[in-house]
Amino acid sequence: MPGSNYDRDLSVKEGFVLSKFLVKWEMILVYILILLNLVLLIFKPELFFQAGTIQTIINSGFDSSPLVLGMVFILLLGDIDVSVAAQIVLGGMVTGLMMNAGIPSIICVLAGILTCVLCGAFNGFCVAYFKMPAVITTISTSMLFRGIAEIVLGENSLKNFPAWYNKIGWYNIGGIIPLSMVLFLIMGAILIFVLHKSPFGRKVYIVGNNPTCATYSGISVFRVKMGCFMLMGFMAGIGSIFFIGRMGGGISSSMATGYEMTAIATAVLGGVSTSGGKGKMFGPMIATFIMSFLIFVLGLLGVDPNTKKIFIGIILILTILVSTVNKQMIKDIKLRLLYHNNKNIEAVNDRTAELVKKNKNEIKKLQKAGGKDAEIKKLQAEIEAAQKECKEKSAQFWADQQADEKKAKERFAK
Amino acid sequence: MSDYILELKDVVKTFGGVRALNGVKFQLKKGEIHALMGENGAGKSTFIKVITGVHQPDSGTMLLEGERMTFRNTSDSAKMGIAAIYQHVTSFPDLTVTENIFMGQEIKNKFGFYDWKAMRARAKELIEPLSKEIDVTKPMGTLSVAAQQLVEIAKALSRDARILIMDEPTASLTRNECLQLYRIAKELRDKGVSIIFITHRFEDMYELCSRVTVFRDSTYVGCWDVDKITNQDLVKAMVGRELTAMYPEKTAKIGDVVLEVDNISKEGYFKNVSFNVRRGEILALTGLVGAGRTEVCQNIYGIMQPDSGEIRLEGKKVNIKSPIDALKLGIGLLPENRQTQGLVNELPIYQNVSSATMKQFTKGGQLDVNAEMENAIKLCKKIQLKANDITAPPSSLSGGNQQKVVVAKMLSAEQKVLIMDEPTKGIDVGAKYSIYEIMNELACNGYAIIMVSSEMPEVLGVADRVVVMKSGRVTAEFSDMSSLTQEMILEASLKEKGGDK
Amino acid sequence: MKKLLHSRNTGLIVVLILLLVMARILTPNMFSVQAIINMLQNNSVYALLAVGEMVVILTSGIDISIASLLAFVGIVTTSLSCANPGIPGVTWFILAIVLGALCGALNGALVGYLHMVPMICTLGTMYIFRGLAFAVSGGQWWFAASYLDSYRVFAIAKILGIPAIVWIAVIVMVLVGLFLGYTAPGRRIYAIGTSRESSAVAGIKEPTVTFYAYIICGALAGLAGMLYTANYAGGYYGMAEGFEMTAIAICVLGGVSINGGKGRIDGVAIGVLIMCVITNFISMIPGMSVWQKALQGAIIIVAVIINYFTERTAEKRALKERGALI
Repeated sequence: MPGSNYDRDLSVKEGFVLSKFLVKWEMILVYILILLNLVLLIFKPELFFQAGTIQTIINSGFDSSPLVLGMVFILLLGDIDVSVAAQIVLGGMVTGLMMNAGIPSIICVLAGILTCVLCGAFNGFCVAYFKMPAVITTISTSMLFRGIAEIVLGENSLKNFPAWYNKIGWYNIGGIIPLSMVLFLIMGAILIFVLHKSPFGRKVYIVGNNPTCATYSGISVFRVKMGCFMLMGFMAGIGSIFFIGRMGGGISSSMATGYEMTAIATAVLGGVSTSGGKGKMFGPMIATFIMSFLIFVLGLLGVDPNTKKIFIGIILILTILVSTVNKQMIKDIKLRLLYHNNKNIEAVNDRTAELVKKNKNEIKKLQKAGGKDAEIKKLQAEIEAAQKECKEKSAQFWADQQADEKKAKERFAK
Repeated sequence: MSDYILELKDVVKTFGGVRALNGVKFQLKKGEIHALMGENGAGKSTFIKVITGVHQPDSGTMLLEGERMTFRNTSDSAKMGIAAIYQHVTSFPDLTVTENIFMGQEIKNKFGFYDWKAMRARAKELIEPLSKEIDVTKPMGTLSVAAQQLVEIAKALSRDARILIMDEPTASLTRNECLQLYRIAKELRDKGVSIIFITHRFEDMYELCSRVTVFRDSTYVGCWDVDKITNQDLVKAMVGRELTAMYPEKTAKIGDVVLEVDNISKEGYFKNVSFNVRRGEILALTGLVGAGRTEVCQNIYGIMQPDSGEIRLEGKKVNIKSPIDALKLGIGLLPENRQTQGLVNELPIYQNVSSATMKQFTKGGQLDVNAEMENAIKLCKKIQLKANDITAPPSSLSGGNQQKVVVAKMLSAEQKVLIMDEPTKGIDVGAKYSIYEIMNELACNGYAIIMVSSEMPEVLGVADRVVVMKSGRVTAEFSDMSSLTQEMILEASLKEKGGDK
Repeated sequence: MKKLLHSRNTGLIVVLILLLVMARILTPNMFSVQAIINMLQNNSVYALLAVGEMVVILTSGIDISIASLLAFVGIVTTSLSCANPGIPGVTWFILAIVLGALCGALNGALVGYLHMVPMICTLGTMYIFRGLAFAVSGGQWWFAASYLDSYRVFAIAKILGIPAIVWIAVIVMVLVGLFLGYTAPGRRIYAIGTSRESSAVAGIKEPTVTFYAYIICGALAGLAGMLYTANYAGGYYGMAEGFEMTAIAICVLGGVSINGGKGRIDGVAIGVLIMCVITNFISMIPGMSVWQKALQGAIIIVAVIINYFTERTAEKRALKERGALI
């Protein structure tokens, strides 16, 4: 290459910056979690320090936690899966029926998980091959899966499950650490590796952001989507173990309704965008904790389980709205509210603000140096003059605009 | 009263920090056809959107018959008799032709309901003089691009426009359709309608227009009477410098045939297309937009599969089912639309660069991010990417630098054939030059390059050989570059009913 | 004639007739006029929800809060009417529509003006409405005994032998059909669903159109809430759970494209009929009642897959036509 005056060092210069790290979405979630703990600590201190409280909170909130982990992948693709609760039921049913038939428990469990993986594969095939919208596909497959469970089970429920199922829902290792949390963290760690360190995870991001570009880059969109939906199925299979364990070892066709929505809400709260390609694994993991603490804290504060839904809904909407606020948006709002949507006014104001800031800094410097009053006064006069001019100009622009708009209104009012 | 029906002064429009219009001015006389010319990205499209009220200018004034105007939206401008036909047809593909014509100014009966019958009748009335084949009850999406253009014209006519703006209406029309359009435009002019005619083609300008205004890099360059300006001066005004300096010297040695395309056809897109490309050669595939060039490339790259015919790589027949196969064989494609096909705007540059070659950086199931970054830095330095660092997202770069990122992505794996679909579309002159340099160097390294391009000067300046397509067929092939002229290419790309070469 | 054969609705009607024939053969004694009227009466609520959902889907949005909205409004009107027996029933009819419209306006404002993703926004409001329904009801069931006749009359009064709720559903369908097909605001809904960019160029204000689309959907869901409680003479906060899915399913079955801009009211009407034939007659066949849900799901999947293939053949035909020009 004929080297012109090109001298750019493209390497990453910026290392770890604490101030940026502290305002990351994941950190904000951590603050919320701490805040919830503080609320608990202040309002029910005796309960907070009582043995078993924290464990109960975590255990009670983790029956749908594997779903959240899987849902992150689906949402990152820009798809959605509302059939996961039905998959839990179907997977649990297969395990339960085989247990009833006296087949060794490990095979039954694996068969249950395999069922869910196949359900996921069916979803994935419909979405990736037939290009069906994921919402429609999974709404109808959730009817289908739950419907199959209804056909097979009718009104009956299955009660025969391996004994260790209950342990996952209720057992604390050494009486302190909830087993479900440990398993959740292990699965989370594996999936963090898959999503953030492996080529598959990278492909998920690329497909989620821009599937066309993925195709042109030699990435098979079909395979990535299939992979994610099957992974979701696998997590639903694991989820059925968690769920049945938590329910005390029983399942019927009408159980677990609404779990899909909780999983989606948790993932979204964790910073995963439903339009695909944005979000990390850490956020939803923290959000899982937040959800279980939130529900518990609200319960302690005397809010009944159904009214809690109002809070969950409001929090969901607020987090989404807050996460869309950024510099550009603030600028836009300022433009709209303060500057009457007139870019000329905005420009004048910005320029003046800059000058004022510069002069004020210089004044400070001079004052520190014990400098001359005359110069300070001159700078102050400059500020005043600029501000006055800015006001006048803005007024002028605004008057012009108003006149134009009035004319336009008269002219175009039919 | 001023002489001008429409006058714009010092119009500025910015989009998120990018100046799309920088103090441009424009004057339109009553009853004239006025050409507006300039390269891609010169700001013409933004300019007409300002006139029609789609965008509001940041500053500047617009005078309509000497009176200051502010348009809040398109219906304001429509009420004042301004209508526009946009370049990318802005229609509603699922709605019928009738509805497309009347969207925004429906005919209603006395109860406030749509009068479909009256609308259909009026639509027929409007369409019939333009074309007898368009069924007004069909959805817009089922029509050909040319027919859609005619519907847009009918739409403009339905609003009794005093000022009509046409944004590159001839770009995708056949010769006959162009002639028809000229006739319609002249009839309108004689009725007293003033027309702003945006075009890339000198032919249009000479045929129709009395004056021409040129924009370059978002600014106003000048306005001339058509009969008082030469072709060369106009080109100079548009590109800002002499043409000769725009292309680097060719240094590559041309070797054996690498890729052979033998008689491939794809229903609905192209028929019996054959050509070949050699090592170290830059082959230009040219013709008008919609001639099937992009689709031919997509078939070679495996986005689509041809219905018949053969593709041979180094003499061996290859069966390319997907881009994965193509990349494995050593065929790369720089897609036409970098925003939708080439880049993932939300991911950092280095991840974009390695997105096609992730396998190289995978060790034991884990991506080696450091190796990825090193590779990206190496490539980006080679192509002189102007970015802060390689973790910046491509959306923070200018168009030219975005294109360079896509080029770097294609360079991160060794390739034998590189297809570049409109590699310099919408990027500034400086960035163009460095893309040409990269192409040259690749050719020197033994790459065979197929360049799809609509810009004649570029084809003449860069290519070693030229294949021209028209309506899905190859109409001409030129290998003697010294005697080749723009007119010869243009003639081949407008040839009626292509015929076999 | 050719057009009629290619029309999607023709296919749906054939399916509907086949289903009816099957039902006639499998459940001979239950296939009476009265059974059909009962069926229509019990499914009119779906019709209202599906029509509202259709309006939203046409804008390329989705509203999954409608079932919760139904429960909320239903609880509000029933509890208020029980507490104030002196007030005539028509008040509650109007209140249901207004309250529903207000809830819809919340969705519409969030989606239209604040640009939230419809799915997530309505997921949030789904929780909120359901929670509100509980808060208002206090977790209590409301029974027929405490109902006013003037409240129930909107669902069960018979006009020409057909219950009022069916008439209301039909009238709503006709009105929405007229609105969508023959008025400017209605066509705007199609326009923004088809192409937002083109709409902007045509001077259509997308946020406003989205806003009123959700209001319509909310108002219809609210109306459905009042009628649902009136029809069954009872309600509790958890009622109608999952109805939003059925409504979306009906829309898809009726040919409404989930990407927006495509779909007609007659398709949705046939979709409602098919869905209610499946749910009702299947449940009448001895031992088959448990098949309902699975069949519903399977039918939608099959419908969408058939859609895929018909669209592909249409595409191929279009390409062939283009090929002739080359």
